Amino acid sequence: MSLLGLVVTVAFIALGLGEHWINPLRPASEIESMILWEIRLPRLLTAFAVGGLLALAGAWFQVLLGNPLAEPYVLGVAGSAAVGAVSGMMLFPESVVVTSIGAFIGAWVGIAAVLSFSHLGPSRLLLAGVVLAALWGAVLMLLMALLPERGVMLAYAWMMGDLSNSSLPIWLLLLVWLFALACGLLLSLSLDKLLLGERHAEALGVDVASLRTKLLLLASAVTAVAVTAAGTIGFVGLVVPHLMRLLFGSLHKAVLISSAVGGGVLLMIADTAARTVISPAELPVGVLTAVIGVPVFLWLLIRKPS
Amino acid sequence: MVAHPEALMIQIRGLSVRRGEKTLFEQLNVDIQPGKVVTVLGPNGAGKSSFLLSLLNLITRESGDVRFDDQPLPELSRQKLAKIMAWQGDLPPAEFGLTVVQRLLLASDGGAQEEINDALAFMDLEKLRNRALAELSSGERQRVEIAALMVQDNPIWLMDEPTAHLDMRHQADCLKLMKKEAQKGRLIITVLHNLQQAAAVADMVILLDGKAGVEVGAADDMLQAAKLEPVFGVLLSGKGRDLKQVYGEE
Repeated sequence: MSLLGLVVTVAFIALGLGEHWINPLRPASEIESMILWEIRLPRLLTAFAVGGLLALAGAWFQVLLGNPLAEPYVLGVAGSAAVGAVSGMMLFPESVVVTSIGAFIGAWVGIAAVLSFSHLGPSRLLLAGVVLAALWGAVLMLLMALLPERGVMLAYAWMMGDLSNSSLPIWLLLLVWLFALACGLLLSLSLDKLLLGERHAEALGVDVASLRTKLLLLASAVTAVAVTAAGTIGFVGLVVPHLMRLLFGSLHKAVLISSAVGGGVLLMIADTAARTVISPAELPVGVLTAVIGVPVFLWLLIRKPS
Repeated sequence: MVAHPEALMIQIRGLSVRRGEKTLFEQLNVDIQPGKVVTVLGPNGAGKSSFLLSLLNLITRESGDVRFDDQPLPELSRQKLAKIMAWQGDLPPAEFGLTVVQRLLLASDGGAQEEINDALAFMDLEKLRNRALAELSSGERQRVEIAALMVQDNPIWLMDEPTAHLDMRHQADCLKLMKKEAQKGRLIITVLHNLQQAAAVADMVILLDGKAGVEVGAADDMLQAAKLEPVFGVLLSGKGRDLKQVYGEE
């Protein structure tokens, strides 16, 4: 309930804020009403869904790899999805479907690449992910160099995150958000047991191999959708689940629900800031989430024992 | 706690287990009746923990047949096995901030609060119940793991060095618990390093010699200096509860 209140409050303020303040309950004119419902609202809902999806993906990757620092951006999965999407764009510039499929395949390739290092153990696996993320970043820049002029702006949006013109319809994003959360909740008890490590989970009756497959499918699908909608936005998947664990404990029912909502709220705030701080110009939202996320990441790194 | 858990016997025929290239032990044959405590002894790397894991179907058996009351191990699902056996092994990771009581809830599948409270009381953990695992010492975390066995209430307990990290009083408590639970009909297989502790609880001993050999026998026959000296490569004296290591006499 209090979560719902938070969402509505943040949404209300975020809708109103902009180059000019518009009271969402009574827009002063036709034009204001249009700005409100046809520009700001879709963007806000996109931010909510994408933020929630990234936070869910982060929570899943963290259990999957047994490392609280894992998340799609840090592991390079968001980067590889962006490479896939931009490649799709190069081949078929007008097709949203190809771009989405590209992002999805990219996410899969990224996960496969990271997991091929899984025998190294959780902490070095994360290192491998970070290096791969750098690689995907370089490939993305290469693609940008090869793209015709118009494409550079688009690819730029993919790299820094851009919620202003999502290529996916909003109803679809919200549906995916709901579906992902529901799947997560169905798996939540098994996920909790996985927190005890694979052997303990198996001894407690969890089929870990099948759970891993499901989680990988879910996490990569969700990452791909989020990246297709908004490009690569980092650290939401890191900060949010961690914060929620501090607030509500580590059991996944609470972590997943609060992350799906909290990630949405965080990205709504970040995007509103991105479009208002230097208004009428805009900051890339990925810059803002990194400014919040990097200190948190470093803090977690220092704090972690061993 | 149920006074008489559903009793179950284990039959093992020709069990061989290997890790990587190394054959840990070959041709283990043993029948274990409910109500017995079986102690697994052997030097480091002889395959004691792997033996427990092979019963849980968590590592591949090279060959051999394991049955629980005539049900072959490969035919039992993960969920079934989790109802038959409870396993205490490595301390679970503490990074994600689970609390003591949450850890026990996961073990008991959200089970009865009363059993959890009993286990916490027995293991002297009441004051720590809402603390995060990461804030506890190794000994305290080991006690949580033993409490986790208690709340599962399965007919078979597999205990991998249950007294490790524990102070003397809790070691004694743990051994008492094993005895008491066996008397109620539980079947307990435990890896131990301390021979006196083994003598205090064991009805039967499985001795792995670290060179793929294995010997099974009644505790009284097995816990003898002459039998164990060559396996462990140390000087021992006495037998049974008087069995002890002799230091510094070359």
